[in-house]
Amino acid sequence: MHQIYYIESNQLNILFQKLKKDYRVFSPVIKENNATKETDYSYGESTENEPFVFNPYRTVEPLKTFFTPPLDKAVEYFNQDESTEYLPKIIIFGVKSCDIVGHKVQDFVFLEGVEVDSLYRLRRENTIFISSDCTDFKEVCHCLAWEILPHPTEGFDLNLSPLNEGYLVEAGSKKGEELIQQYKEFFVIAKDTQLTARKVKRENLIERLKKHLLPQHLVSKDIVQRLMKEGYNLDTWQQFMLTCVECGGCNFICDTCHCFLLADKKEGNINKKLKAWDACLYANYAKVAGGANPLKTRTRRLRFRFTKKFDFFIDNLGMPACCGCGRCIEVCPGKIDIREVLKDLAKKLNIKT
Amino acid sequence: MKNIYKPKEAIVEDIIVESPTIKTFVLRLKEPFEFKTGQFVELTLPGIGEAPFTPSSDPNIKNKIDVTVMNVGRVTSLLHTSSKNISLGMRGPYGKGYPLDKFEGKDILIVGGGVGLAPLRSLLFSLFVEIDKYNKVVLRYGARTPDDIIYKESIPRWAKIKKVDVATTVDVGDTKWKGNVGLVTTILKDLPVDLKKAVSVVCGPPIMMKFTTLKLLDLGFKPQDIYLSMEKNMSCGLGKCGHCRIGKFYTCKDGPVFTYEQLNDIHDIWE
Ligand code: SF4
Ligand code: SF4
Ligand code: FES
Repeated sequence: MHQIYYIESNQLNILFQKLKKDYRVFSPVIKENNATKETDYSYGESTENEPFVFNPYRTVEPLKTFFTPPLDKAVEYFNQDESTEYLPKIIIFGVKSCDIVGHKVQDFVFLEGVEVDSLYRLRRENTIFISSDCTDFKEVCHCLAWEILPHPTEGFDLNLSPLNEGYLVEAGSKKGEELIQQYKEFFVIAKDTQLTARKVKRENLIERLKKHLLPQHLVSKDIVQRLMKEGYNLDTWQQFMLTCVECGGCNFICDTCHCFLLADKKEGNINKKLKAWDACLYANYAKVAGGANPLKTRTRRLRFRFTKKFDFFIDNLGMPACCGCGRCIEVCPGKIDIREVLKDLAKKLNIKT
Repeated sequence: MKNIYKPKEAIVEDIIVESPTIKTFVLRLKEPFEFKTGQFVELTLPGIGEAPFTPSSDPNIKNKIDVTVMNVGRVTSLLHTSSKNISLGMRGPYGKGYPLDKFEGKDILIVGGGVGLAPLRSLLFSLFVEIDKYNKVVLRYGARTPDDIIYKESIPRWAKIKKVDVATTVDVGDTKWKGNVGLVTTILKDLPVDLKKAVSVVCGPPIMMKFTTLKLLDLGFKPQDIYLSMEKNMSCGLGKCGHCRIGKFYTCKDGPVFTYEQLNDIHDIWE
């Protein structure tokens, strides 16, 4: 483990303002305050003097938007002088444990395999993650069901754990350690009592989340692939797709969904390939030029989304491509709930969750 | 910084009309470009769109590639109306090709349907240049009508090469057609191959691949000796865009050539 520091809230706020001089800083802000609803947090670029806001749970948007935006320029070609893109250094605050785990899938897709997506890598290298512990959760949050803890354990540069009038700050990478060294006047080394207090706070939240999840009897990580294999022909898919309006929202909002289409465009004399998000819930997702469409029906498309997450990725990456963030549940106008789909399969197969 | 989505430039040197719906484009690459038989490329109409094709030429010919294209979609129909000397973009090659080393010493049965003969022509050329390595090459090709047969002049020439046996069929004949009429499976009887050392390679429309595979299994071919070229909606070619998934595989990176054994337990592969 790296060294752990402490920073006071007002000091963090000063540092927050300073960082904006060298970086573009993105940090969650309250989306709309509505007493009757859960408060939503949304990423925005923090402007001068805008204060630091701590988000108790994940944001509305997935982390992937920073690295693979919905519509991106993949490349220019056959041009004499190609513009080289200027990439700013950015810091993202408010990243949560589920985001980091989900983002492993994006990294796997774009940084590994046959070839590396160099623009993705550059963006990734230019970004600092300042994550934070969850201090609360949303109704749809179910990270624990996939054995993901509600505080980051890896994959961050710095992690903040709120404590009394300040934060414990843990460095998780060289980049994070360097940032602390650069601004060392803001930090003091954390005391053992503070570390113990962090542990207790974390455990308390885990207990609260467990209480929330236990009555739901969610499907566990070790049976989910079996559900895909044995439940392939069950009527679950047919039943749940009935309310799907094919908006693709579940795909777009998901931090593990990565599908895109390449499209060509001419602007003046410039030829471009664009990279646009695609959704496997869309009717033409798998249609070939000759007309054949292996995913003709919504039933097949819904099942395809699940088998991608819980069969393909377990085989290829060793983990399910779901981090339990619950974004897809909130976004779906058809009220299709990933937790319920999985539970229905388990029930029909008589497999204990 | 290498950009993996960037195409190389190729000039259309010649366009050969193969059938009312199929043309072969002879492309000259401006930069070095090599492929193995069975691998595919993404061809870009600059500023308009791209589509995947498996080259139909001999991979031993450097810097010239033939791509045989059926007019079926937006990009292919624009390609069909384009003329010589235009610039196209080419990305790739992608995927795994035919494992020629596994074919050595074998009787190789090649079954093609329609435009599916295109990738197989590249395979045939690769086999012909080193024909001594193989025991026998048996080609069985079916097209819808005599007009739809591609490489019309080449097929009779191939039949004259030593160790090569060719038969063709059409679903619907015409007044001039003297050959077999019926689906390609009807010419898979009494094959001059020794099943103990035979492999088969199939490429064609999904329905043809399905019935051919069933027929081959029926004849006694082992699932691991049936090689299938899967057609999926490929976009990136790099295992990133997700479109070409079959079960635990991406067609673009793990295929496009699979053995039936690999696909055996995956649902709906013929859809
Ligand atoms: S599938 Fe749903 S719950 Fe799982 S990571 Fe994606 S959006 Fe979150
Ligand atoms: S969000 Fe719901 S309605 Fe929209 S495509 Fe996904 S499952 Fe269908
Ligand atoms: S074509 Fe993009 S993943 Fe295969």
